Amino acid sequence: MILSLTNLTFQYPDTEIPVFRTLNFSLDSPGFHALFGASGVGKTSFARIVAGELTGFSGQLYIKDKSIVLYSYNQERLPGWGTIRHFIDSTTPSSMIEMKKQLIDIFGLSDCINLRFSQLSLGQKNRVNLIRYLLQEFDLLIMDESLANVDERLRETIILKIKESFPDRYFLYISHNLMEITKFSDTILIFRDIEKIPQTLTLKGLDIASREMPDRDRLETTVLEVMNAC
Amino acid sequence: MLARRVLQFLIVFASGLIFLMILKYSLTLSDYVIPSPLDIWHTGKDILTVYFFDTLNTLSVAIIGQIISVFLAFSVGIGARKSTFAGSFIKAAAYNIQAYPIVAVAPIIFILLGDGFITRLIIAAMICYFPLLLSIIGIMSEPVTDIEHFYNVTSRMRWQLEVKIRAFENMHKLITVISGSTTLAMAGTIVAEFIAADRGIGHSIRIALYQSDLSRILTALFLIGIFISVYQGMLEWAGERIGNRWHVSN
Amino acid sequence: MGRRENRKQVACFKLTGTGIKMTQYLKWLFFWGMVFATITVDIPLGNAQEDINYRLKWLFNTSVAGDLYALDMGYFKKEGLSVAVKAGSPERDAIRELELGQAQFGVASADQVILARSKGSPVIVIAQLFQKNPLQWIYRAEPGTLSNLSDLKGKTIGITYGGNDETIMRALLKKGGIPEKDVTLFSVRYDYTPFYRKRVDIWPVYINSQGIILNDKLTENGEKTGFFDPSSYGVRFVANSVVTSLKTLRERPAMVQSFIKALLEGWKESLAPENKQKTLSVLKKYDRDTPTDIREKQLAITRTLIIPEGDAHLGYIDREAWRQTEQIMLEQGLIPKPVSVTDILFQDGFGPTQKKQD
Repeated sequence: MILSLTNLTFQYPDTEIPVFRTLNFSLDSPGFHALFGASGVGKTSFARIVAGELTGFSGQLYIKDKSIVLYSYNQERLPGWGTIRHFIDSTTPSSMIEMKKQLIDIFGLSDCINLRFSQLSLGQKNRVNLIRYLLQEFDLLIMDESLANVDERLRETIILKIKESFPDRYFLYISHNLMEITKFSDTILIFRDIEKIPQTLTLKGLDIASREMPDRDRLETTVLEVMNAC
Repeated sequence: MLARRVLQFLIVFASGLIFLMILKYSLTLSDYVIPSPLDIWHTGKDILTVYFFDTLNTLSVAIIGQIISVFLAFSVGIGARKSTFAGSFIKAAAYNIQAYPIVAVAPIIFILLGDGFITRLIIAAMICYFPLLLSIIGIMSEPVTDIEHFYNVTSRMRWQLEVKIRAFENMHKLITVISGSTTLAMAGTIVAEFIAADRGIGHSIRIALYQSDLSRILTALFLIGIFISVYQGMLEWAGERIGNRWHVSN
Repeated sequence: MGRRENRKQVACFKLTGTGIKMTQYLKWLFFWGMVFATITVDIPLGNAQEDINYRLKWLFNTSVAGDLYALDMGYFKKEGLSVAVKAGSPERDAIRELELGQAQFGVASADQVILARSKGSPVIVIAQLFQKNPLQWIYRAEPGTLSNLSDLKGKTIGITYGGNDETIMRALLKKGGIPEKDVTLFSVRYDYTPFYRKRVDIWPVYINSQGIILNDKLTENGEKTGFFDPSSYGVRFVANSVVTSLKTLRERPAMVQSFIKALLEGWKESLAPENKQKTLSVLKKYDRDTPTDIREKQLAITRTLIIPEGDAHLGYIDREAWRQTEQIMLEQGLIPKPVSVTDILFQDGFGPTQKKQD
C-alpha cells in the first residue's frame, strides 16, 4: 500500500464549509486509479494534499516511506524561451531517453517537438506537460485533467501506453469523462456533495488494458453504478 | 516607434508654444515674460549647439545612472525575492527613502562628494533606483506557478531558472519599468545639475533662470524632450527586439 | 501586505500598447499644464483688486527689515493700503508678476530691471533700497591676499554663473585688465565647503547675511577674513530697488505715492538705532532660524548699505550707478543695445514724502 487516508477533513481558511470531511481512501496496488465527481467537490484539493502541496487538514495521511508523489495539472506551461525538445531533453534522466522517444511518438508530438510551447494547441500542451512528468522518477503520479482537450481515440492510446509502460507505478487520474474512467480505472474514488454521507465512495472500474471492447453489459452496469454513486 | 515618439513630442511641444503665444499676444505681455517667436528662434539657433552637448552630457550621466540602478535593483530584487524579512525591510526602506525629496538630500551628497560627475550620477541613480527596485522586487517575488510547479516538485528549480522564468514572463512589464525610469534618471540628473553641478543642461537651465531668459529655458526643454523621446524609443525598440528574440507573446 | 504593495507598484508600470501612448500624452499634457499654470496662475481677468501684493527678491531675512517693519507696524494700513509682503526666490520674478498683474510692487535687482526693459517690459524703478551693493567676496586675509585688483590673478574665484556676481566679477576683471585665463572661476552654490576647504580663494557673499556667518566661523577657527568690495574699485553695480509697472504708476499715482511713503517710512524707522529692538523682534517673527546675535550684526551692516551718504534721502535713485550698471551689461552682451536707463527710473521722485538723511 502506497497511500492511505483516514478521517481526512479539510477546510480552506476563511470559509465556513469544509471541502470534505472524514474521508477514507487507500491505494493498495499499482495501476491506474481515478478520482471522479462534479466540479468543486474537492478532487484537486484532495490531490494536492496527497502531493504535499496543501496543508492544514486533519486526519491521517500515510504515504509509504521514500515514495515520490508528483501532481500535474492541465494549466501548467513550459517556459517560452526554448523549444519543447529543449525543455523535455533538459529534464529527462538518461535512463528514460528511450522511453521519451516512444512517448513523443505515441503521444502524437513528433511534429511539434521543435515548436515553442505557446505555438501548441491546448491538447498538445497537455500532452507535452504529461510526458515530462512521466519521464521523471515517481511512485505515484496524480494527473489532474491532464488529457483535457485531447481527442478521445488518442486519449485511449495514451492511457493504454501509460498502463503498459509503467505497470508498477501508481496513477491517480482526475477526469470528468465517465466512460473513460470506468473503462480504464482500477479503483474509482467518487467525490459527492458535502451533505451526502458518506461523502466519498470507492468503486471498482473495469481496468481495461487493451483496445478490446469490454463486455457491454458490464460496462453499462459499472457506468450506472458510478453515476448513481454521484 | 522612434519616429512616432519624436513626432508626438513635437506636436505636444508645438501646442505648448502656440498656447504661450496666444497668451502673450492676448495679454500683450513683453518679451521678458514670454519671448517672441523670433526671439525664441534666434536664441535657440545661437544656443542649440551648446545646449545640445549639455543635454548629451546630462543624458550620458542619466544613462549610466540608470544602468547602475537597473543592475542594483535586479541584484537586490533577486536577493530579496525569497526572504520575507529582507524583502519587506528593503521595500520599507525604499518607500521611506523615496519619500525624501531629492532636493533635500542632494546638498548632503554634494557636501560629501563635491559637485562633480559622481554626485550627479548618484543623484540620478537614487531618483530612478527606488521605483525600479520596488517594481523589480514585485516582479521577482511573484511566482509564476504554472511554469515553476514542475521544476519545484521535481527538485530541478535553481535560482537562475526562477529569475529567468519570472523575468521572461514579465518582460513587457520590465521593459516598461526600465523605459519609464529613463525619465526619472534624466529628471534626477537635471535636478542634481540644477542644485549644484557645474555641467549639464540642468546647470544651463539654472543660469537661464538667473538671467530670466525663457527662450533659453524653452530651448533646453525642447532638447530634453527630444533626447528623452529618442532614448525611450530606442529602449522600447531594444525591448521589442529582445522580446522577439525570446518569442515573448504579447 | 508586501505582495499587495508589490502588485500595486508593478501596476504603476503596467502599461502596454496604447496605454504607453496615452500615458505619454498625459505626461506631456501634465508637464505643459504645469508650465502654463506657473505662468498664468492668478492672472486677474476682471478689474484690479484692492489688495496689494509686494513681491520681494528673496526670502524673509534682515535684508528686508524695512519691508517687514512697514508691514508689521501698520505703516501700509495707515496709508489705507492692504499690502501682502511676499517672499521671493529665483523662480519668483517680481517684474514678471507686475506684468501679469499678480503683484503691484516688487523688489528687483538693477540687472533684472535693465534686462526686462530691454525686452519691452513696462517696469519702472520708484526707489533704490540699497545704496551700496551688499554683494562682496569674502577671503582669508593672509598677507598680500587682496589689496588691489591685480591680486585677483591666479586666484580661484567663486561666482554664481548667470548671477549678477558673475557680471560684477567680469567687470572687475576687465577693469583690472585681467584676462579670464589668469583666474579660475568656480561655480558657486549653496554649499560653502569648497571655501572652507580652501579650494576657492574668494567666495561671493551678501555682506549683510552669509558674509557675517562665514566671517564668524572662520574667526572662530582663528582665521582672519577680509571682504573684497567691488565699489572700492569703482564698480558700482546697483542692487535691489522697488519697482512697479508703468500702468500702475500712471493709473494709480496716489496709491503708488502712499505705498512708497509707507515703505520708506518703515525702512527709516526700522534702521533708527532707538528702534533696534523693535526691528529685531519683527525680524524674529518672520525669520525664526537666524540666531539673534547674527541678526543684530546683520542689521547693523544693512543700515550702512541702505542709508545714503550725504544729503540723499532713503530710496535715493543713484542715476550714475544705474548708468554704469547698464554700461557693464552692454559691454558683457547681456543686453543688445542701450535701454535709455533714465527712462526706467522714476523722474518725479517722492520728495514731499521723503526725509533727507542727516
